[in-house]
Amino acid sequence: MRVAVIQFPGTNCEYETLVSVKSVEIDCEIFRWNRPADELLEFDGFIIPGGFSYQDRVRAGVIASKKPIMKAIMKKAEDGCPVLGICNGAQVLIESGIVPGIEWTKVEMALTFNRWTGFFCDWIYLKVWSKKSPFFSLFSIGDVFPIPIAHGEGRFVTQKEGLLDRLIRNEQVALRYCTEDGEIIDEFPINPNGSVFNIAGITNKEGNVLAMMPHPERASFAYHKSSSGIKIFEGMKFFKK
Amino acid sequence: MLKKGDEEIKKELKNLNISLTLDEVRKISKAIGREPSIVELYIFNAEWSEHCSYKSSRNVLKMLPTKAPNVVLGPGEDAGIVRLFDKYCLVVAHESHNHPSQVLPYEGAATGIGGIVRDINCMGAEVIGVCDPLRFGENEYIIKGVIEGVGGYGNPLGVPNLGGDTYFNSSFNDNCLVNVIALGLVSEEDIIHSKIPDCAKDIPYSIVIIGKATDASGFCGASFASEILDSAKERKEAVQVPDPFLKNVLFKANKELFRLIKEKNVEIAFKDLGGGGLACGTSEIGGDFGIEIELSLVPQIEGLLPEVITCSETQERFIMAVPDSIIDDVLKLYNEDWELPNISEKASAAVIGKVLKEPRYILRHNGKTVCDLPVSLVVGGISYDREEMPIECRYEEPDQEIGTKNLKDAILNVISHPNVSSKKWIYSSYDMEVQGKTVIRPGEADSSLIAPLIEKGISVGVACSCDCNPLQGRIDPYLQAVNAVLEAQRNVASIGATPVCLTDCLNYGNPEKPEAFWQFKEGVRGITDACKELWLKDYPEYPMPVVSGNVSFYNESSSGTSIDPSPIIACFGIIRDISKAITMEFKDSGNPIFLVGERKDELGASVYYQTLGFVGRNIPKPDLEKERENIHKIIELINDGFILSCHDISDGGMITTIIEMAILGDLGAEIDIEGIGTIREDKRLFSETPGFILEVKKGYEGKIKLNQAYHIGYTIPEKKLIIKDLIDIPIDTLKKAWMGTL
Repeated sequence: MRVAVIQFPGTNCEYETLVSVKSVEIDCEIFRWNRPADELLEFDGFIIPGGFSYQDRVRAGVIASKKPIMKAIMKKAEDGCPVLGICNGAQVLIESGIVPGIEWTKVEMALTFNRWTGFFCDWIYLKVWSKKSPFFSLFSIGDVFPIPIAHGEGRFVTQKEGLLDRLIRNEQVALRYCTEDGEIIDEFPINPNGSVFNIAGITNKEGNVLAMMPHPERASFAYHKSSSGIKIFEGMKFFKK
Repeated sequence: MLKKGDEEIKKELKNLNISLTLDEVRKISKAIGREPSIVELYIFNAEWSEHCSYKSSRNVLKMLPTKAPNVVLGPGEDAGIVRLFDKYCLVVAHESHNHPSQVLPYEGAATGIGGIVRDINCMGAEVIGVCDPLRFGENEYIIKGVIEGVGGYGNPLGVPNLGGDTYFNSSFNDNCLVNVIALGLVSEEDIIHSKIPDCAKDIPYSIVIIGKATDASGFCGASFASEILDSAKERKEAVQVPDPFLKNVLFKANKELFRLIKEKNVEIAFKDLGGGGLACGTSEIGGDFGIEIELSLVPQIEGLLPEVITCSETQERFIMAVPDSIIDDVLKLYNEDWELPNISEKASAAVIGKVLKEPRYILRHNGKTVCDLPVSLVVGGISYDREEMPIECRYEEPDQEIGTKNLKDAILNVISHPNVSSKKWIYSSYDMEVQGKTVIRPGEADSSLIAPLIEKGISVGVACSCDCNPLQGRIDPYLQAVNAVLEAQRNVASIGATPVCLTDCLNYGNPEKPEAFWQFKEGVRGITDACKELWLKDYPEYPMPVVSGNVSFYNESSSGTSIDPSPIIACFGIIRDISKAITMEFKDSGNPIFLVGERKDELGASVYYQTLGFVGRNIPKPDLEKERENIHKIIELINDGFILSCHDISDGGMITTIIEMAILGDLGAEIDIEGIGTIREDKRLFSETPGFILEVKKGYEGKIKLNQAYHIGYTIPEKKLIIKDLIDIPIDTLKKAWMGTL
């Protein structure tokens, strides 16, 4: 497997994301936004890391989602390649409409301003809610682990009627905010941004595209408060290819 | 101009917004043998400003110790450098952005962060952290704007915030303090200096500007920072405009530049454009060489006057002198590889001039010479010996019987005081985790810790903390500075790191007023004495070096009163193995709690007195020899694993220290305060005499051989604070008060 970590202008988590991916012995490199998009087709895994791509102009993630390299990534996603969007990367994936992707490339959800605070950085707890995606191969359903968040626009919302039920039914809700004991409570700071259904991470129908707001690359090693996040990167190895 | 009468000249200078005095203008004319051009006047206005020239402070600053075996580069360039591990070095810088933040809080604070990170980056270093010591009055607009500005720049740039300290006091009502600190990492052989290298004698060098297109923002910013802030003339145009998005890209391009020059094996001069803009940046890299610049070649918005191009402080720019052989590579790197022109309008890298062998500073505008001066005159600055006059302390200790009979209320009042209560509402708005190397975050211990070399398999950690109690300066500016150095060192030691250097930002009033100048001088004297006594642990014959810093004068209100003196000290420490570092929350029940440091009647400037409406007079007068012994011993005890948690005693006294450790650890404490001093009980609890609270590993009490160490109790599983015969309060109640949710 060869993974590209996408670097847009304003991305700021690409280097530590690279470190995490390399640590699980996956071949990986940073791919700058102005390289020819065709070169992306040679990769078989993609990570859109955190940051403030294009200065969060208009809406966080929206400009990056329209760039030629995103078209290439969407094509590879359709082929079943793993695509992971973290924080701003999650915003890019939501804006490109491939997550949740009920209707492929149609924007069905939004990541809007945090309900209770502005930009908010803290450690929170996540519960693994679905194992449909190979990204969670090394987890069990119900696993609870600490991980940091750092965002101002991380609140999953949707206006589409019945969408949430469908996502739950499809097992697309992968990660939910919870207490240390795994209790799902919709209040600050347990649900730090007020996301609907305490959603922290969501996949497409097939499970190969994951958009998550918390930062697994900041919870990867012994010197972090938790190293559970590394298992998400390691999960990329479980994709067939 | 100089042929006119004195009053007329003064008026003209005022119209031009030039802060030079009549005498200074005369001095310039005499030195160059003619009347200065308008552009030249503005250049001197910047270069001879207090901000750039340190004209009032430089003779006093000579006192500070700056040399030690671990110092690679002391004060003089954009940042100081000390050895970290093997060939790796820690780069540190410390600045103020007080006046801009008072006028435009968001932009002022954001460009404060934007400026300090450039100071680090231009040494060839990667920026690995920032800190923000803040001093506020009551104006919520300023408080909110500054905090949003600090986060609004650092978060998108991608540099973790490693904390700071925040004090609220009315002396900052008209003049807040926004100090900024940045840390960087560089390999010793990759350090880039801001001077044109000697080889420019033999090979041609050109001047290249990179970054944002020059505009009029921040015009006269350096002299603006060196004046009294008068609400009648809020100069919003002197504040710069932040663009962290461009900086994010620029830093990545700079990283490639550093790689390029290494690969090509060439030397360059690299400097950030900050105070004084192009004028200061280009003249200060000159050294023994000269510079010739064509101002029309500077990427710029249309219609700028030559003096604006020369002295505007447009953000996100750097200047460099590069050998002509690599110019094409440099231009391609910025303009094509990293597409600067597509990131920000007209942003680019451009050749704007060349290096001359003769040390002259020549600026032309469309071919016309607008400035022709000897480099040494431009950068030589001026110096004043200011008068000083001691201020008699007008505060007294409150009458003996004043105090409280209700200790519970007193505790709740102290821990809910804005200067004590949790600052999570501030630091949680900053990204503390980006770069993935944060080990201890703000709020978890007395200093933060990062592991900058961890990806290289080196588990060395860097700690930093900043401190200074403003109210103490009102009583005794000398002891205030001593205490600030001591507390900064204590904080670094509290996690097990060894202090290796300091930086300072000396925030005072108007130096032309003898009282304010005396406060400044007392502060420098205090820092110097404390550094000598609290020497380097690994090199006992050397005082703690002050490797970088800044002076910020003219911090006063429109009514002419100075802010409380604020020599803000940042201390940087190193721990060999990050896994040995400890945080401050109690770890387990049943462990012995130790107090280090007898409780003395030293409540002057304490939070307790403030809650009672007093300032007081007896501020802590530390025995530095004992303090040094304790600090050095505690570092060893932590690294040996005998201390499980440690928190220094400062604002709010020992009881506040214990309460914070209990709240964060979700445990209780049962203590007895008999025998820890002879003063009244409330004073024992709230005295701010320096010291530590330690949670010691059970069975290892005998290892705690420190000056004035007292075993005062144990951690307990019940979430209660119990002080024998005095207090029994649920931790939950205390937590609510401390978190500000009571």
